[in-house]
Amino acid sequence: MDRRLRKSLKGLTDPDLQRRQRAMESFVRYTFGRFIKCLYRYLGNEVECEDVLENVYADIWADPTALANVTDERLLVRTVYLYYMRKRLREVYRRLNRNLHLSQQGLQNLVAPEIGVLESMSENELCETLQQMLGKLKARERKAIELWMQGMSMRAIANELKTTVGAVKMLKFRTILKLKELARTMKIGVE
Amino acid sequence: MTEINRTIQELVVDYACALRDGALPEFLKSLTRQEASEIVSSRQFADATEVVRVLNEVGFADKAVMPNVSLFISRVNAQITSRRKKAAWPAARGSATTRRSAGRAGRTEKRL
Repeated sequence: MDRRLRKSLKGLTDPDLQRRQRAMESFVRYTFGRFIKCLYRYLGNEVECEDVLENVYADIWADPTALANVTDERLLVRTVYLYYMRKRLREVYRRLNRNLHLSQQGLQNLVAPEIGVLESMSENELCETLQQMLGKLKARERKAIELWMQGMSMRAIANELKTTVGAVKMLKFRTILKLKELARTMKIGVE
Repeated sequence: MTEINRTIQELVVDYACALRDGALPEFLKSLTRQEASEIVSSRQFADATEVVRVLNEVGFADKAVMPNVSLFISRVNAQITSRRKKAAWPAARGSATTRRSAGRAGRTEKRL
């Protein structure tokens, strides 16, 4: 872990208020990019990401004890997700729940689930692993995923692959499950 | 109203599209009772959504417009200050209320 980040983490529990504030500022500066990307994974919306992250940092300020034993970046993201982000993520959609057919538990599992094998990886590891996994797909499956990641709609992908929207949906579903299976077989699990 | 229930693969794709477009609440609202129960019980859906979330981060998080860190720090500071004030305020208000109610009790006692 970066030395300055380690120092700022230590400073979060400093009894002196001014030193603690400085540590918090430095902590936000170092972790902002990583945390917002992590939140983007679950929300897909910048505005909501910012709002949630603001509360997450305020929660960390109020009680930073969960971060006391953090030794590396991966553990930091994992701890922050489990102790601070998940609670806030669940709150974002809880207000909708009156009008939904999902149970409270179902909603929580969908919006802010337990952390999975892929999700517990660091950013670099994740990019590397995804590249490896995409390389193991068939050309058509890979193209479907790549086009989708370029932001194309299902209809546009269907046109590109010269097939129907239904077939693309099925292809994408199967490919996603295949990726998950590849992740399992590649034994990239953490812990 | 007729409800057409989507299959699990359609639900996964719709979830992925909603996540990519930042429209998860709309996806949640669109679920019928049958679809909701299917989502909750389906292991395949849980597996697929993990991959979808990771793809969402890798594919789109970098393209999203993120705020300036310094501006964001001032927002965090404001939030912290606001919380500290809120934490201090009920205590002050509580003690004032206690004093007031004690005063009232005192008056009542005097009258009696």
